[in-house]
Amino acid sequence: MDISILALLLILPFIGAIVTLVMGGERQKYAKFVAAAFAAATLVISLYIMFFADYESLGMDVTWITTDLITINFALQVDGLSILMVFLTALLSLLVVIFSASEKDRPNYFHTLVLAMEVGLMGVYMAWDYFLFYVMWELTLIPMYFMISWYGGPRRHYAAIKFFIYTHVASLVMLIGIFAMGFEAMSITGEGMNLSFDVINTVMPLADETFQILVFALLFFGFMVKMPAVPFHTWLPDAHTEAPTGGSVLLAGVMLKMGSYGIIRVCIEALPAGADYWQWVIIGIALLSMIYGAYGCIAQSDLKKMVAFSSISHMGMVMLGIGCGTEAGIMFAVFQMFAHGLITGVLFMVAGMAGHNFGTREIPLLGGIAGRVPIYATFMMIGFMASLGLPGLVGFWGEFPLVFAFYEFIQSEGMLWLILFCLLNLMLTAGYYLWAMQRVLFGPETKKIELDHIHDVSKTEGIAMGVLVGLIALFGVWPDLALSYIGDYTSQLLSMGLII
Amino acid sequence: MIDMSSIFGDFAAIAPLLILMVGALVLPGVHLLGKNKTATWGVAMAFVLVSLAINVIMLLSDNVYVAFDMVSYTPYSGLMILLFQIVLFLAVLVSNSSVETTRIHVGAYYALILGATTGMMFVAESSDLLTIFVGVELTSISSYALVSMKRNDTRASEAAVKYVIIGGMSTALTIYGISMLYGFAGSTNIAEIAYSAGIDGITIPLAVGLICMIAGYGFKIAAVPFHQWAPDVYEGASTPVSMFLATGSKKMGLGVFFQIFLVMFVSGTVCSAIMGPEVQYIFAIIAAITMTVGNVVAIAQTNIKRMLAYSSIAQAGYILIVMAVMSEYALSAGMFHMFTHVFMKGGAFLIVGALICAGLGEKISDYKGLAKRSPFLACSMMLFLFSLAGIPPLAGFTSKFFLFSGAIGSPDGVMYEWVWLAFIAILNSAISLYYYARVVKAMYVEKGTTEEKIKIPKPFLAGIVICLVAVIVLGVYPQLLYGFCESAAAFLI
Repeated sequence: MDISILALLLILPFIGAIVTLVMGGERQKYAKFVAAAFAAATLVISLYIMFFADYESLGMDVTWITTDLITINFALQVDGLSILMVFLTALLSLLVVIFSASEKDRPNYFHTLVLAMEVGLMGVYMAWDYFLFYVMWELTLIPMYFMISWYGGPRRHYAAIKFFIYTHVASLVMLIGIFAMGFEAMSITGEGMNLSFDVINTVMPLADETFQILVFALLFFGFMVKMPAVPFHTWLPDAHTEAPTGGSVLLAGVMLKMGSYGIIRVCIEALPAGADYWQWVIIGIALLSMIYGAYGCIAQSDLKKMVAFSSISHMGMVMLGIGCGTEAGIMFAVFQMFAHGLITGVLFMVAGMAGHNFGTREIPLLGGIAGRVPIYATFMMIGFMASLGLPGLVGFWGEFPLVFAFYEFIQSEGMLWLILFCLLNLMLTAGYYLWAMQRVLFGPETKKIELDHIHDVSKTEGIAMGVLVGLIALFGVWPDLALSYIGDYTSQLLSMGLII
Repeated sequence: MIDMSSIFGDFAAIAPLLILMVGALVLPGVHLLGKNKTATWGVAMAFVLVSLAINVIMLLSDNVYVAFDMVSYTPYSGLMILLFQIVLFLAVLVSNSSVETTRIHVGAYYALILGATTGMMFVAESSDLLTIFVGVELTSISSYALVSMKRNDTRASEAAVKYVIIGGMSTALTIYGISMLYGFAGSTNIAEIAYSAGIDGITIPLAVGLICMIAGYGFKIAAVPFHQWAPDVYEGASTPVSMFLATGSKKMGLGVFFQIFLVMFVSGTVCSAIMGPEVQYIFAIIAAITMTVGNVVAIAQTNIKRMLAYSSIAQAGYILIVMAVMSEYALSAGMFHMFTHVFMKGGAFLIVGALICAGLGEKISDYKGLAKRSPFLACSMMLFLFSLAGIPPLAGFTSKFFLFSGAIGSPDGVMYEWVWLAFIAILNSAISLYYYARVVKAMYVEKGTTEEKIKIPKPFLAGIVICLVAVIVLGVYPQLLYGFCESAAAFLI
């Protein structure tokens, strides 16, 4: 039994969660240091894996549950698709701990929840067995539920339970798909059921077409709700509006990516016939999410809700790339997942700070505050600009090549008019961001709220956002740093004939 | 390993039962002579533990014993007996410290609860309709008395009366069904009935007989539409007895279904080709309705015991999937789910009982702020409830994983026939999360009226810890029991 270094990425935050859990009473004000230490150690290991180790050979595989029929392995592995997500999880967890350093209400439990989330998320991205994948997938729900219902806004109970049940139903539907794949693979191989990714993802493309189409629908539904795609997005604005800032950052930054990760990892890799059959449905849902999300943004008066809707729109772009089924499409879809993770972190921090520092997130109540909070204004501008795809920042490399990949795809299909939707989306995106920025930061100073008490970014908040902004700029000018990993992965897919 | 037949001779097959029978007869006398409740409790515990130890040894030795050509100890019955013994152990463990059971005649109480368990075990070892009937009646009659024992409580009296009347009706139905089958086949042996049914095909008396049996034993497991008594009885009875009934007596009813119908239609003869599908559909519909009604009605409950009662009904519905699918894989999964259900539902009932001892009410609103008052109890309750809802990595998830997958496929590949049932089961799982999460919310999120710490009796604590460990260990390491479930299923079918 060899334990790979990957297991440390699960064990460290897990220990951290336990340690912070028992730090009650007087010691709870030190919980943040403990949590930061564990999260930082995890980040260091993930960086080591990313840059210094031969990450694809790190897999581990320990037999976990064996019955006469089923073999379940505790298998972990990373590849070009998941390594970026693992890094993003480790990074955002640490930054959330740093950002929330001033949390006063039971800080030890807050950090327990952050680290427990980290365990679940790491598990989802590293799992190499469907059982483990599902277990980890569900594990992320519980800390998030408590994070919203303990630390959230006024309607937190409603939002928490809605989030919990909505996404739980979706993952149960996904579970049926997993069962079906397991049994089908078993009847194809003629051996016992083995739920390992290696087995299922190699065998499933051989299954008959009707089966693939049906199972694709089940799994895709499960992933789509998580992403979330219109029309199954309604849990997201509620969850985000009520969640504490740290929770929103993790939710939008890495948890939504579980959905798109699942679509690529499971739907595309294992069920190519299904992907082929549903291709236009995927593209339709993607375009709908993009446009609807963008229109939704314009209608919002709550800054955080606007950012939540922009997540729907941007995740729609990820789905668009996946829907193309081309190398460029998948490659930049994955890059967009990564880019959106970095950007949305800044956006939610900015939106959340409006609530903490100014006392309101309502855009109409704010105005002309750039002079009073210059650092805040700078971060907000960088975040918004990155999100609308300004060249030189990471968002550009997420969006522009995706539109290009889509263009290539529809050109080959003779449906060139569809590009109008993309253009509409780009316009709307620029529109709502600039308009929101103008109303919040510029113009005459607002008289609707008390401005004497508002304060600028605190030191810890500045560090957290500074790191993200630095990375946004770094990957903006040097996208190849991330694309080289994704390229390895997409060329594998290409060589297996799963994409064109 | 010790061979039990060297100690018990021809009686080896019923050794675990014998111990409990002797216990049931001796205990009233012990209490009469000793006049000490704790001593009586100690003696009862000793009988339970000895019986448990004997059964574990017999189960591990993997032998088949037969006694009087009538009852036989097989891997299947050994496992069922183990389940009943665990339930009995938990119930007896807390009985001496629960305020609900210490004011009653304890000698009779322990005798009845041991007697009821003996009946269940007897059922598990039988392969004849009449011996099954006798065992079920032994359990039922003891349970009527157990429910009514909480004297001076009108709810308990109401529950007992309801239980007796409905139980009597189900008994009448069952015996009528058995007589039809006897008239048809000339035997009450299940295998022989299956054999003659295989020759003669489906006839009206056979169908009527089977339907009567389904209805009669359906009352025992509280399958919808025969479930109305269950919430009243569980609410009215003292909590250890409610736990005993919800986790033990219900499993006996399910065991009866396995022993009668799976033996008849699967390991039986050509019969399965003739009328298997009809019976499968009857069971599938009962399963679907049972889980849906159980879960939907549970949402409306404000009393936690009633909520747990409805959730037991729903859980029985999940296990009835086995009867619809009728495959060996599903049966082993169903048996595993019966075990995990004992621990998670048993644990939840123990917490309710412990809190009653600590002076808390039975309303869900009484649980507000429990996390502050007793972090351990609140955390355990949360884990039990999440396990019941099927959240990984707890035992309830793992067993549901196996059970629901049994409806989707078998070793031969995907079966499209029962996928709809799996869908209903999974939607129900999601519904159940709503009312479980409501209790969790009350405990963790809402503010209570007081922050006074709660102290609970030590035996309750021990019982809860045992259940908690089992729920976690069976969740991450199911082979511990799953292997036994597989060999039991292989033996029965």
